[in-house]
Amino acid sequence: MRPWLKQNLFRSYLDGVLTVVSAAIAIWIVVQIFTFVFITGRWEIVQVNIKLLLIGRFPEEHIGLLLASVMAIAFWIGVTGGAFVKPGAPKRSVLEIARELFQRFGLIALLGIAIVYLAGTGEALVAGLQIVVAIVAGRLLSALRTRVKLLSAIPSLLWIFVWGLAPTSLIWYTLSVSTLETWGGFLINFYIAVLSIVLCFPLGVLLALGRRSSLPVIRLLATTYIEIVRGAPLFVLLLLAGVALEFFIPPEITPDVIFRSVTVFTLFTAAYLAEIIRGGLQSIPKGQTEAGKAIGLSTVRIIGLITLPQALRNVIPAQIGQFISLFKDTTLAGAALSMFEILSIGKAITKQDDFLGQGLIYESLAFVGLMFWVGSFVMSRESQRLEKKLGVGIR
Amino acid sequence: MSEKAFSDATKISDTTKEAIVTMDGVYKRFKDFEALKNINFKVGKQEVVVVIGPSGSGKSTLIRCINRLEQHDAGTIVVDGTVLSNDLRNIQEIRKETGMVFQSFNLFPHLTVLDNVAIGPRRVRNLAKSEAEEIALKLLERVKIPEQAGKFPAQLSGGQQQRVAIARALAMKPKVMLFDEPTSALDPEMINEVLDAIKELANEGMTMVVVTHEMGFAREVADRVVFMADGEIVEVGTPEELFDSPREERTKKFLSQIL
Repeated sequence: MRPWLKQNLFRSYLDGVLTVVSAAIAIWIVVQIFTFVFITGRWEIVQVNIKLLLIGRFPEEHIGLLLASVMAIAFWIGVTGGAFVKPGAPKRSVLEIARELFQRFGLIALLGIAIVYLAGTGEALVAGLQIVVAIVAGRLLSALRTRVKLLSAIPSLLWIFVWGLAPTSLIWYTLSVSTLETWGGFLINFYIAVLSIVLCFPLGVLLALGRRSSLPVIRLLATTYIEIVRGAPLFVLLLLAGVALEFFIPPEITPDVIFRSVTVFTLFTAAYLAEIIRGGLQSIPKGQTEAGKAIGLSTVRIIGLITLPQALRNVIPAQIGQFISLFKDTTLAGAALSMFEILSIGKAITKQDDFLGQGLIYESLAFVGLMFWVGSFVMSRESQRLEKKLGVGIR
Repeated sequence: MSEKAFSDATKISDTTKEAIVTMDGVYKRFKDFEALKNINFKVGKQEVVVVIGPSGSGKSTLIRCINRLEQHDAGTIVVDGTVLSNDLRNIQEIRKETGMVFQSFNLFPHLTVLDNVAIGPRRVRNLAKSEAEEIALKLLERVKIPEQAGKFPAQLSGGQQQRVAIARALAMKPKVMLFDEPTSALDPEMINEVLDAIKELANEGMTMVVVTHEMGFAREVADRVVFMADGEIVEVGTPEELFDSPREERTKKFLSQIL
């Protein structure tokens, strides 16, 4: 212990001073946060408004439908999580599995428990459990796939895509029956993010391929689109979507704000994604295409089986970065389209009669920030896991 | 016959057999550089032709024109009765008939060894997965690495990778095999295992065009050796003729430099 301390923390006088100073700063920060979270923080503002922050003024009679679509998404996440598991993986003990699950999802579980605790109702507890069950069921379905011969013939990506259709259509259905003014809270941020991610990915791939196409017209169209969209600030596009979408869409269909923002986020992120994927495609050596040609594979199959899978795998970090950024940018939609997403609500609740003028914006913003941080952090960690699994960097 | 008869690469060694690859007046230009000048070249069925020459002489370009990895500018190329044109179906047809092995292996790093070999039968000839894998496994046995089937290319040595590449090309049951410097990227101790695999193929009667710097191999396996320089076929002959009594100055100079 003492040699370690001397070696790493107190090797010279300067080292010693630096160690003491930074330790003092670190302790001070931890104490400050601890006091805020457990002593001075007045969390009743979050507690009272927890439902508002999470789902806004969503109509009571449709909450069942809402829960169903959240469960469908959870189920789909489970399916995706199990889609890349190869049969014949080494058996592990229950303890090992539990530890891994805790490392991966402990943070989300803790947040979920905290929310259920804050909500303090039996319904919230049941809903939480239902979501957990949905994830586990999805995961088990994917595990079944690796065992049934007929199912294992389905490519992983197709498998994920097919099961993604269920939540997507359920979301649209929920959207169509509940009046949109009543949607709100984190629900909106989450749905906009998920929908946009699902929709922008294929568009991004097509744009990337288009920009590399040998047909000049397609190349020009893709390049023009990418350069124009990337040149415009997201906030401007969102503001524009609030007024300008009517130019392109028949007036009978007055698009709602969610439709508007999903459109903007999809189109915007697709342009960035296209450039990321194009970078990935460029990193694949020419010999790969040549080897595919020499075997007699068609151009479409060379892209689909050889270059694109390698390219997508190589750019996982940048892709996930883009998705995380999209997730957090959904808060901009609140300001631009006056939508009651979590940040707008977080600001609005500080003006309630009970809390007005008491400086509770810190508590409110801390909760909003925590929701996004946990989501982003888990996405980032999962992407690192996926990278390792697919063997990026050990070629 | 004219005095240039010894540079006539259209005379196949066993004249009773028909030609499977024919190049007639082929030219290829890269910007300002003429890579191939008036190439007239034939490969007979079951013939092994080795192409030698200094770097930049157009050897690789010549065989890459045969399966349209490079597009020739003038002349005609016929592979097994199919005339190579811009028609995509013709190109696909010819690529199915020709197997190619590259200097840098070009295995697909994201697929297992077995999938690398099975991808052709499965995705080009549209065989069932099990059938394609059966073919692949047999070929891996033939190149003596069936035990590596489940590994990824990066886990194999260079020599093993190149043998997988040979198996991958053979999986399409090609009529001609094209080898583009198959041992140039290998460590010395691995060259022989690859050359042995190629020799075995030759003994089984596979038609082959091999671009190589391995003169011992050329002498042993070739029916004909073609010497190229500056984009032209300079001299053609049996290994004995070409190595022991070269007639052209450029051939003599090249051989004196490498032997």
